[in-house]
Amino acid sequence: MSPLPAVKSRSFKLLQLLLQVAFLCLLAWFTHTIAVYLGSPIPGAVLGMTLLLILLSFKVVPEKAVNLGASWLIADLLLFFIPSVVAVLKYEPLFEKYGLNIIAVVILGSSMVLLGTGFVVDRIFRFERRLNHRRRQLILATR
Amino acid sequence: MSATALSIVCLALTLFCYYACKYLYLRHRVWWLAPIFLVPLVVIGIVALFKIDLPIYFQYTHLLVMLLAPATVAFALPIYRERALIQKYPITIFSGVVAGLFLGMFSSWLLIKFIPLPTELAHSFIVRSISTPFAVEATTSFGGIPELTAVMVVMTGVVGILICEPIFKLARIRTSLGRGVALGASAHGAGASKATEYGREEGVVASLTMIFAGVSMVLGAPFFAIFVG
Repeated sequence: MSPLPAVKSRSFKLLQLLLQVAFLCLLAWFTHTIAVYLGSPIPGAVLGMTLLLILLSFKVVPEKAVNLGASWLIADLLLFFIPSVVAVLKYEPLFEKYGLNIIAVVILGSSMVLLGTGFVVDRIFRFERRLNHRRRQLILATR
Repeated sequence: MSATALSIVCLALTLFCYYACKYLYLRHRVWWLAPIFLVPLVVIGIVALFKIDLPIYFQYTHLLVMLLAPATVAFALPIYRERALIQKYPITIFSGVVAGLFLGMFSSWLLIKFIPLPTELAHSFIVRSISTPFAVEATTSFGGIPELTAVMVVMTGVVGILICEPIFKLARIRTSLGRGVALGASAHGAGASKATEYGREEGVVASLTMIFAGVSMVLGAPFFAIFVG
């Protein structure tokens, strides 16, 4: 009847989350240092992502060892760039003067990308789905 | 209040606004409660209203920005977990990434010919469709400014989730991957969370498209910058 087990498992989960985030930070810091040292044109974080993907694929790092931490970092991505957006106050006059132009450009630009990409991908997906379907039938027929 | 105390209050305020807004949005799904729209507005409003100096605001909140790098590393997990979907529809995902990148840059080039913008804004506008951690890396290749780019990325995300429904109806985009890939390619993280509302497959493929488009833009930016910008 005591609420203790629930509290205990909750704090255990929090500790797990912190450790996993720390591990991902360490990985990011490590690849960043290497990228800077080698003068790599590819940013450290992208190298870190590739490294983690390799580690996961070869089961060096099991999925559940990063699951909690990675899910939190991805789900709360927005929180990490709020401060960069606040920095826009430095450019206040620019936004006051060109506000309408900016809004127009963003709306028109997004419409073009969304419409174009959606139209192309919708057709290609129908084609690839048929292709997969036919391939599956071929495999079944030759069995 | 001392400057350090005020800095700590700023960090607490940012965290509070974010999690309170997220909680509200999960309960009432209305667009103006979406964290990507409301949180920047409220935080900027408070900082401007109380005339808080930006260096004081950044003293501790920059710790949040530092988490963008491990978040990028964390993108390896969805790629690994959804490898079956990638292997099933490689042509669709690849063409979506290419179309999204090309259209993003082409539309920027075209629009700024007709709608005048100062150069620093125009250059920051080019990489707006990709996820922030990639966008702030890629933007310097085009002569953009990371902070202005972050604002453009946020605005694009908000606009994307607002206009996607009429556009899908208009262009009769009905397939799961058509919608997912288009949202991921045009409106990054905001688009991916909107895609999750359509269905699981839509959400997953939107996140994957967002990640691949981001990586491709970061790798290709120095090359693309020869033609655009």
